[in-house]
Amino acid sequence: MVVRPYVEELKYLEKINDHCWRIKKGFQPNMNVEGVFYVNSRLEQLMLEELKNSCRPGAVGGFLPGVKQIANVAALPGIVGRSIGLPDIHSGYGFAIGNMAAFDMDDPLSVVSPGGVGFDINCGVRLLRTNLFEKDVQSLKEQLAQSLFDHIPVGVGSKGIIPMNARDLEEALEMGMDWSLREGYVWAEDKEHCEEYGRMLNADPAKVSMRAKKRGLPQLGTLGAGNHYAEIQVVDEIYDKWSASKMGIEEKGQVVVMIHSGSRGFGHQVATDALVEMEKAMKRDKIETNDRQLACARINSPEGQDYLKAMAAAANFAWVNRSSMTFLTRQAFAKMFKTTPDDLDMHVIYDVSHNIAKVENHMVDGKERKLLVHRKGSTRAFPPHHPLIPVDYQLTGQPVLVGGTMGTCSYVLTGTERGMQETFGSTCHGAGRALSRAKSRRNLDYKDVLDKLDQLGIAIRVASPKLVMEEAPESYKDVTDVVDTCHAAGISKKCIKMRPIAVIKG
Amino acid sequence: MEVEFSKDNFLLPETKYEYLDHTADVQLHGWGSTLKEAFEQCGVAMFGYMTDLSYVTVNNCYEIEAKGDDIEGLLFHFLDELLFLFSAEPYLVCKKLEITKFDLDNFEIVCRCYGEPFELGKHPQGTEVKAITYSAMQVVQDAAKGLYEVFVIIDI
Repeated sequence: MVVRPYVEELKYLEKINDHCWRIKKGFQPNMNVEGVFYVNSRLEQLMLEELKNSCRPGAVGGFLPGVKQIANVAALPGIVGRSIGLPDIHSGYGFAIGNMAAFDMDDPLSVVSPGGVGFDINCGVRLLRTNLFEKDVQSLKEQLAQSLFDHIPVGVGSKGIIPMNARDLEEALEMGMDWSLREGYVWAEDKEHCEEYGRMLNADPAKVSMRAKKRGLPQLGTLGAGNHYAEIQVVDEIYDKWSASKMGIEEKGQVVVMIHSGSRGFGHQVATDALVEMEKAMKRDKIETNDRQLACARINSPEGQDYLKAMAAAANFAWVNRSSMTFLTRQAFAKMFKTTPDDLDMHVIYDVSHNIAKVENHMVDGKERKLLVHRKGSTRAFPPHHPLIPVDYQLTGQPVLVGGTMGTCSYVLTGTERGMQETFGSTCHGAGRALSRAKSRRNLDYKDVLDKLDQLGIAIRVASPKLVMEEAPESYKDVTDVVDTCHAAGISKKCIKMRPIAVIKG
Repeated sequence: MEVEFSKDNFLLPETKYEYLDHTADVQLHGWGSTLKEAFEQCGVAMFGYMTDLSYVTVNNCYEIEAKGDDIEGLLFHFLDELLFLFSAEPYLVCKKLEITKFDLDNFEIVCRCYGEPFELGKHPQGTEVKAITYSAMQVVQDAAKGLYEVFVIIDI
């Protein structure tokens, strides 16, 4: 890492406009392209403060600030356009979280990096609608929260309740949501409203280690812990009435369910295994990076291809996982209201993946190019008329689901043409952490956090008490700042705002 | 592999680990008068993040092996093996680790892991560990002072 005083570092950063900064070449060594990040004045302070803190001379330990990580990614072989930081960016493993980068598939030197996907492969958000309104659920809120908590296995050490053996797992890894459909856990139309129709076709379970499968099997159909959650939300604001109605959201007060989860231990192990393999490939192919954590391999190398196939299997695992929880959620609601999920109109509005690498076609310098797009803590946001979005959303643009934090609001955005041009059709994914977990535990009081949620009228069920502080809204950036920045920059457009009334967490 | 052990004279080690700040994740810091001890402490620290170890009784013992290319790699794979012991059959939570082979020439470890299978209702749910990382990993060996420390960031 280049060590310079803070004022020197600032010379490499240029504010282009109110919500966009440029990172010039030279900020980190060997940058092939420039970097860029989207922030408003409040997020800008957090970003620069992180950089300032890392500039202290003689400091031991510590970690790279997000802005340095964007620049290190810009130095990877084969990157095109710019290395992009979204407003919810914070320091991560190799890539920052909230970082996207695209690599030219036709350049033999281009790389794929598991760090650019993250440990939780195909972590994502799914939104289910209902035809219920706040007044229908207000008195049942606590019971509903408890019922969801009883139906969905959550937290460390919980095991899935969907019957599954090793052979089922192999099939699920290959088939993704087609498996869930065949087994009767989802509806045919659910698939339509998922990226890739809930199945990556290049998945190859044979490229996945036994260890990953052993970790995955007991965890299929579990929510997980950390920042994962299931929330019952009500529509709080509609910004774009026409697009919202295309999603089946007609009025304020309508009840929806948001599920945020990923590929569990399966994906974590696939990522770990790939990092180990790629360290060797890097030595062999003499790939130099600025940071050991940016382990990568050429896309066309055996390691690169194996990773993409294993990653696709993990992506399928995640879709099956979210589908299993969709099934359990529908059951919980149907039982509570003594009707059927059908009659409750519990359709999937959309399902996004915010930790993934995909092959996509984009215009670069006026030419169409085939790119491997890494989105880590970043959501795809394709504009209207894009061939890869479902018929129902052809005119609105792809719905983008942005989860807030326990007790804060969440948003549905839509993709824009501007986002397609500026950020390879990518936008933010959530709030992004602002405080460290340990700091949250020290500064916040368990009871205060719960009291506050109670005052806001939010029912909560949490498996791990210390998570209450770690995941408190105060520990995160303000999701509204994040979303407003994306909207102002034009890389996605605000459509619906929701606020939670019940939260289930690990 | 499950192995036999005797509960006679079974002593728990004193705690020589702590959790340090990191924005999204947590950094484990283990130390001891030997590097072997620092490794053992770091491993127990990871389990201490998943549950409250005071609720764990020692009923089972499993033996694991880990190999690496260098000292950091060895630490990484050692912790990865322990994480796997928890994440799949036998779902073991360890209260004590005893490294019986600590070969720093070939970077090999054999370790006895004492604890019991994780059980909802009996063991409080802490935080899930997704993966071990090389991020800011440090192995400090100060033979003169007799102080050995390791720092590992785990992804949660």
